[in-house]
Amino acid sequence: MNHFPHGWGRPRDDVYGAYNHAYLQPDGSKQHTQSPIVTGTSVIAVKFKDGVVIAADNLASYGSLARFTDVKRLRRFNSRVVLGFGGDVSDMQHLDRLLSTLSIREDYSSTASESDNAARELNARNLHTYLAKVMYKRRSEFNPLWNAILVVGLDGESQPFLATVDLLGTTFSAPTLATGFGAHLAQPILRRAVPDEAAVAEMTREKAVGVVRECMKVLFYRDARSIDKYSMAVVEKEKEVELVEDEQLEQQSWAFAEGIKGYGTQTV
Amino acid sequence: MTSIGTGYDLSNSVFSPDGRNFQVEYAVKAVENGGTAIGIRCKDGVVLALEKLIHSRLLKKDANKRIATVDRKVGVVSAGLLPDGRHFVSRARDEAAQWRSIYKSPIPTSSLADRMGGYVQAYTLYSSVRPFGVTAIVGGWDSEAELGVDGQVGSGPKVGAGGKREGAKSGGPYLYMIEPSGLYWGYYGAATGKGRQAAKAELEKLNLADGEISLEQGVKEAARIIYVAHEDSKDKEFELEMTWVSSLEGPTKGHHQEVPKALREEAERLAKKSLEPEDEEEEARVEGGDRMEE
Amino acid sequence: MFRNNYDNDSVTFSPQGRIFQVEYAQEAVKQGSVVVGIVSKTHAVLAALKRNAEELSSYQKKIIEIDTHYGIALAGLASDARVLSNFMKQQSLASRLTYDRPMQLADITARIGDRAQINTQQYGKRPYGVGLLIAGVDATGPHLFEFQPSGVTQEMVACGIGARSQMARTYLERNLEQFEGSNREELIRHALRALKESLSQDKELTVDNTSLGVVGTGDAKERFRLFEGTEIQSWLETTFENQGSTQEGEGMDVDK
Repeated sequence: MNHFPHGWGRPRDDVYGAYNHAYLQPDGSKQHTQSPIVTGTSVIAVKFKDGVVIAADNLASYGSLARFTDVKRLRRFNSRVVLGFGGDVSDMQHLDRLLSTLSIREDYSSTASESDNAARELNARNLHTYLAKVMYKRRSEFNPLWNAILVVGLDGESQPFLATVDLLGTTFSAPTLATGFGAHLAQPILRRAVPDEAAVAEMTREKAVGVVRECMKVLFYRDARSIDKYSMAVVEKEKEVELVEDEQLEQQSWAFAEGIKGYGTQTV
Repeated sequence: MTSIGTGYDLSNSVFSPDGRNFQVEYAVKAVENGGTAIGIRCKDGVVLALEKLIHSRLLKKDANKRIATVDRKVGVVSAGLLPDGRHFVSRARDEAAQWRSIYKSPIPTSSLADRMGGYVQAYTLYSSVRPFGVTAIVGGWDSEAELGVDGQVGSGPKVGAGGKREGAKSGGPYLYMIEPSGLYWGYYGAATGKGRQAAKAELEKLNLADGEISLEQGVKEAARIIYVAHEDSKDKEFELEMTWVSSLEGPTKGHHQEVPKALREEAERLAKKSLEPEDEEEEARVEGGDRMEE
Repeated sequence: MFRNNYDNDSVTFSPQGRIFQVEYAQEAVKQGSVVVGIVSKTHAVLAALKRNAEELSSYQKKIIEIDTHYGIALAGLASDARVLSNFMKQQSLASRLTYDRPMQLADITARIGDRAQINTQQYGKRPYGVGLLIAGVDATGPHLFEFQPSGVTQEMVACGIGARSQMARTYLERNLEQFEGSNREELIRHALRALKESLSQDKELTVDNTSLGVVGTGDAKERFRLFEGTEIQSWLETTFENQGSTQEGEGMDVDK
């Protein structure tokens, strides 16, 4: 690699010959984002009997630098939807603004009675469908929003809803979901607790919160782009969204670090 | 109107020899036939109220709301042609959304009034359009708190340059009225529509410029004034529609909302009571128009 | 001869602040045959009287299904209604595709209202010459909206528009209290009776000239469906028990 970012990712002149400008635009093909810049790591979520728990840490990394340490990656949309963002933070902010515009527009058609408003409010499924369209459109323009998103909340039947959409517009739904490193490190733990929809019906809120906290700890131990401060939200039937943005990982144990040899400042 | 029929009133954007734009004046006539709308600027918020004439028993009760919200903290009520009022609101919402996309924060009420004044004025400039047949009252609360930027994810640095001035205050209640000509002023109390004369007389008695009146008082006065203004067209039934927007500490937490039913009904009860001993006031009658005007 | 100078286009106000072109467009609605709509707590019903150009021609289309949860009835220029109904269909499909959510009736009504308003404010355009009744169910229950060429839209409990519709409205006003608690069959019968009120003396409702649109919600959930021909025979019989097998009279005009 050289020091001319403009040429990165393009066919090399010394291998393929100079670009024929008669063929496309004079300055070569147009490029969009090739990689995220400031990033958030995993988001994890699990369904329980009457709702969903979601968590993400409060770090935004600039490469390997822990650049911003109080970043809120869980966003409440309304009384029954919370979104969790992994990936590029500026793209997340763009989506956040897009959603607040949507939310304002939704309020315009509100009706006289409060109960009617609850019925017509966008639910988690509506929002997931919408985000999937936005993400897929952008990837089809070769200009993706570099995020992995978890949508949690209640659907039209007031049942727990959990689904994901990523930068490619891929959608997926399961009783437990995790993005980024969490897909490798937390998902197996979550699946052990809630293997299927039948297990969701047995799951209590306390247990769900417990297993999420456990996963956040594992992620902090093993994911180098994580931090021990995190946010957690619970969306539950007939309750307001509970969103706590200053959770601290408790009862950490670094005793194992003693035994690790071979790098760091230690003398072997 | 002396120059009617001389041909200068047949097209928009044309001046008569004495410097008038008749089509704009005719648009004002459409407003003067509509149900009365008022706005009161109180010390801790703004109240908007509307006399909604009910011309058919088949209409669904308490539906068909006419006072609209723009962005979250501004209310718009208008008198005149209903569909023009909707057009006005729709444009105001677009302006508010566009403002957000540029500045990442809600549009100040004054800027919204300014932009809408400009928009309405543009409809007096061309012969290919007609002026708006509405006068709109725009009331809002500009947040007194320090607002984050839309999409903000953290609190930013705790030390260093922040550009903040110690003790600086901003925000508060704002009220504007925009006429078909595009002209607009800021008001302590604004009234338009059929009963505007009676309503204005009542508003003037409130000494609103002193800035003493509270939002709750404002609600009661607004209801009473609409009832007073309705005296002229007593034969017609009407619904009172009222909205308000308060400070962040107030009842609406900075949002523009409908006045709660209980409070509205209490205000209506007091309004009716205050009217009982009085004799009806004399006002010039304006003839009714078609169904487009309420 | 007296001539009204202020009625040439929709961008000219009269000295009284009226827009004659818009008022004339409202007249076009009154040329169309009558349609009626009613809502109860569970259902929304549309009923329409269809005309045919001549004995051997087919009857016009007065009720159009827009989506599975709602439909419209029209009075006035049928081609204008087709433009509007196409727009409504597109918007409704877009809502399902983008949000996986059926279009709210209040929202779609506001959208066609806004469209119609533009036609009353710009030179070179004319107002729509059609009135619509929009009836259906959504997340907030059954609804009925009236749309006018002026762009005025309003939510109603019951409504009738078109030729001689005042009689239908009088019937509806007289029976207003009963609608909310009516069941499906009662509501349909009310709609048919209201429709009948607007017929001239020599005319009857028949399986050929009557259309019905029905949709339900909640426990009585059913998709919007158009009933015509023999399907409505039994309703006609039970509603007007002493009705003979009458053919249509003469003088039936077509909607322009």
